[in-house]
Amino acid sequence: MSGYGVPGGPVVHDPMTLPVDDNVNKYTFCVELKGSEWFLQKGKMIAYYGSMEFNGIGHGRLDRLVRTSFHSPLHASDWVVAQGSGKMLLADRAFDVNSYDLDDGNLTIRSGNLLAFQPSLALKQSIVPGFLTLIGTGKFVAASNGPVVFMEPPIRVDPQALVGWADCPSPCHHYDHGYMTGVMGGLRAMTGLGGASGEEHQFEFVGAGTVLLQSTEILMAEQATGAVPQQAGVPGAGGVPGQHGQQTGAPRLPGQLGDLQRRFGL
Amino acid sequence: MFRLQGSKVLAVDMTGDAVKAKNGSMVAYDGQMAFKKLSGGGEGIRGMVTRRLTGEQMTVMEVKGHGTCWFADRASEINLVSLQGDKLYVESSNLLATDTGLRTGTTFTGLRGASQGNGLFTTTVEGHGQAAITSDGPAVVLRVSAQYPLTVDPGAYIAHQGNVRQSLQSGVTFRTLLGEGGGEAFQMRFEGDGLVYVQPSERNTIAGDV
Repeated sequence: MSGYGVPGGPVVHDPMTLPVDDNVNKYTFCVELKGSEWFLQKGKMIAYYGSMEFNGIGHGRLDRLVRTSFHSPLHASDWVVAQGSGKMLLADRAFDVNSYDLDDGNLTIRSGNLLAFQPSLALKQSIVPGFLTLIGTGKFVAASNGPVVFMEPPIRVDPQALVGWADCPSPCHHYDHGYMTGVMGGLRAMTGLGGASGEEHQFEFVGAGTVLLQSTEILMAEQATGAVPQQAGVPGAGGVPGQHGQQTGAPRLPGQLGDLQRRFGL
Repeated sequence: MFRLQGSKVLAVDMTGDAVKAKNGSMVAYDGQMAFKKLSGGGEGIRGMVTRRLTGEQMTVMEVKGHGTCWFADRASEINLVSLQGDKLYVESSNLLATDTGLRTGTTFTGLRGASQGNGLFTTTVEGHGQAAITSDGPAVVLRVSAQYPLTVDPGAYIAHQGNVRQSLQSGVTFRTLLGEGGGEAFQMRFEGDGLVYVQPSERNTIAGDV
């Protein structure tokens, strides 16, 4: 045993005392790999013991794994697969991190909040833009600004506080019509004059399930989820009925999400 | 005597002795205190020149008196480190305060520093006493021993102490150039016997982007 670290001083961790697939503190999560694999967002590993390899998802050997549990092809350049054995610490900009277990379930989460997941879960793009859906059985790690609280529908939530939802149908928009209709209401909403409370718009959840909220309204940086196929009827794809698969609006600018350039990390 | 009040404020009880602290980090004091700016980190002319040359500048003040003085720096978390004759290596921006019994200096870190975006040099603290270091989020202290070497992301590293060898590991392959890198192209590997302090957040480094 080494002589560093004094009793009564800060807790010193080594591979023996680090927890297995659990939080070290509120901001750091420890994952144990025993020849197994984990998907993680690029750059969220802060330290590890043992021998591990981090490979981009385009790596040939990982093809099979990616095929079964990664269905967000244009988003792939932001994810890596950790392989090997040892213990690995994950953290994200000093945000709260927590792990969640899914048991043959589904959960949709804001893309910027998801840090890592076990390959026994399948990651898919949600049809709600900016969200990802995890399906299956396994563990995943998510970050949030402040601790996460769990709510049950029916509930209306503030868009900025929403982290994700499990098992219930996708939310719909709710506008406070009593306050927002009419000329005065429109003016209030547009200018804020006459007292806009900033809470005229919510997401509404109905049905059975759980809604995850963070305890601040500070959003985490959005992570690109990649583009969806440019087809009519696909939300967010810009398809217009009658103009099959055609793009609307301005031509695509370089650097826009979902471009080839994203794929190659430029 | 260093103690933490909450996790973001350092309280130092003084009886006529002096501590070195980051310039302007005092938030309150009671009793009698004198604050004196130390040019060149209080390491004399030679230290001053070295710090200027190496870019490890730190503006330090000496606080001396009787009473209690409180220090804080941009609401970052503070971690106490006690040194018994061993050496602490820390980035100058993360060093908040050191005891009377400690000496500070600069040392060459080589490529490791470059990958971290913090320059090629780092600050050392040695002697007997206590030091306070800041981090973005509470630091996790990891032990390095002969059977358990440790690998750390350069962006999350803040300090290490003890008899530790560090080397830079590179995972750069042709895939990195294709943009399919592992996101962890540069890593710092620690071997030997000591402690490494890691923060739950990553600074922006050139290594973080490849």
